[in-house]
Amino acid sequence: MKVVVDLKLCEGNQRCMEAAPEVFDVRDDDKAHLLMQNPPESLREKVKLAVRMCPRQAITIEG
Amino acid sequence: MSQQQISLENLNVIGPDYYAKNGYPHAEWTYLREHDPVHWCEYPNTDPFWAITKHADIVQIAKQPKLFSIAKRLLIFVPDTPSEPDPVPPFRHLLNMDPPEHGDYRGIVSARFTPRAVRSLEPQIEAITRKVFDGVTGKSRLDFVTDISSKVPLAVIAELLGVPQKDWDQLFRWTNETIGGSDPEFQDGTNSDETFDRARIGLFNYFNNLVEEKTKNPGNDLTSVVAAARINGAPMPQFEMLSYFLLLVVAGNETTRNATTGGLRALIENPEQWERLKKDRSLLKPAIEEIVRWTTPVIQFARTANEDTEIRDKKIAAGETVCLFYPSANRDEEVFENPFTFDVGRNPNPHVAFGIGEHFCLGANLARLELEVIFRELIERMEYAELAGPVERLRSSFVGGIKHMPITTKINPARN
Repeated sequence: MKVVVDLKLCEGNQRCMEAAPEVFDVRDDDKAHLLMQNPPESLREKVKLAVRMCPRQAITIEG
Repeated sequence: MSQQQISLENLNVIGPDYYAKNGYPHAEWTYLREHDPVHWCEYPNTDPFWAITKHADIVQIAKQPKLFSIAKRLLIFVPDTPSEPDPVPPFRHLLNMDPPEHGDYRGIVSARFTPRAVRSLEPQIEAITRKVFDGVTGKSRLDFVTDISSKVPLAVIAELLGVPQKDWDQLFRWTNETIGGSDPEFQDGTNSDETFDRARIGLFNYFNNLVEEKTKNPGNDLTSVVAAARINGAPMPQFEMLSYFLLLVVAGNETTRNATTGGLRALIENPEQWERLKKDRSLLKPAIEEIVRWTTPVIQFARTANEDTEIRDKKIAAGETVCLFYPSANRDEEVFENPFTFDVGRNPNPHVAFGIGEHFCLGANLARLELEVIFRELIERMEYAELAGPVERLRSSFVGGIKHMPITTKINPARN
């Protein structure tokens, strides 16, 4: 599973970090940074929740 | 209206009189979600549209801003008399811009509204809120709207914009007239168009002067930020700049006010939830989310299809409008367990009261913080509250407004 964040859309709302802290980290630049590009399958549900909760719909899962 | 009487032929989800008289048409929306979630609507005085009532459909539409334009028709407005739509919109701001322009304009202030940025405003909002509550301490009877819920958001947005306090009342009148132009209480002129136009021009003139002042003496306020902004290297055109202020003033006032009023009402009507919140302050954050879901102050925005498309089993032709009914999505049985139960501990709570995607409410984090501060103060200092007269609703099918909510109450002095 590959995760992509559209940084033009991201406004640092931190919902992804709440849903999947293993994968997302919102830093002082108010942007979501990926802690891993290809999270393991075991995190799929959490990443899916992050996708759903992102107010700007800036996250996509590829594969 | 009970479920039995509703039929697809006679239901009305857009008439402003219905909203003034009954509040939100939840029975009708529930019926639509079950029987015809993408429903073709024709009403007098407004162009036809598709009513979108399911959570999933609103999300799908909102996240495709290139397929579904907001610039072509911002919302479903139902004037009292048939009127030709103005070929030139009366304002151009974030709400009626599509990408990529929308992103360029949004980026000018978005850094001021991130969770991190608004957190720094907490002491300021606390001071405002405390002062408002101090002003009514000991009063046993008050109008919660004019005495409390309208005062905090007005003061917050005015301070953020750098508007001097002597002008706040005027600012408040303009925001009421912009949103409440269809309501006789706020009408200043013969009809809603005239009322809106006067308020808009008054506000434009005011900010034109303020911009001049802030250009000479810039401060840390939003007016200075917008005044100095450049779009693709050029100064922002005047019409777009003045529209920007119209948006910030109106959006900063109308929504938080009504979430606050509706939130207290929900607590009054669900005393066990009020008790729960009093006993466990860790529920404050989920309680705020639930208040926002429960009240969903913005009723609808529209989108217009740029090309032929489909939603569920319905063919949407290019040029046709879809109307996104957020309060309906926030009662969607497929997303929320017991959607008609007010539950301050609800989790998860993926409501779409702030919209979602490209046009997600810019001020959402500020609104959340304001509500958190207000309800923290309220839980602390308001011993009880009871409705003491009729709740008067705004005549609007855009904002679910409460104009007046008389209560009997006991508000204690601040602890320190």
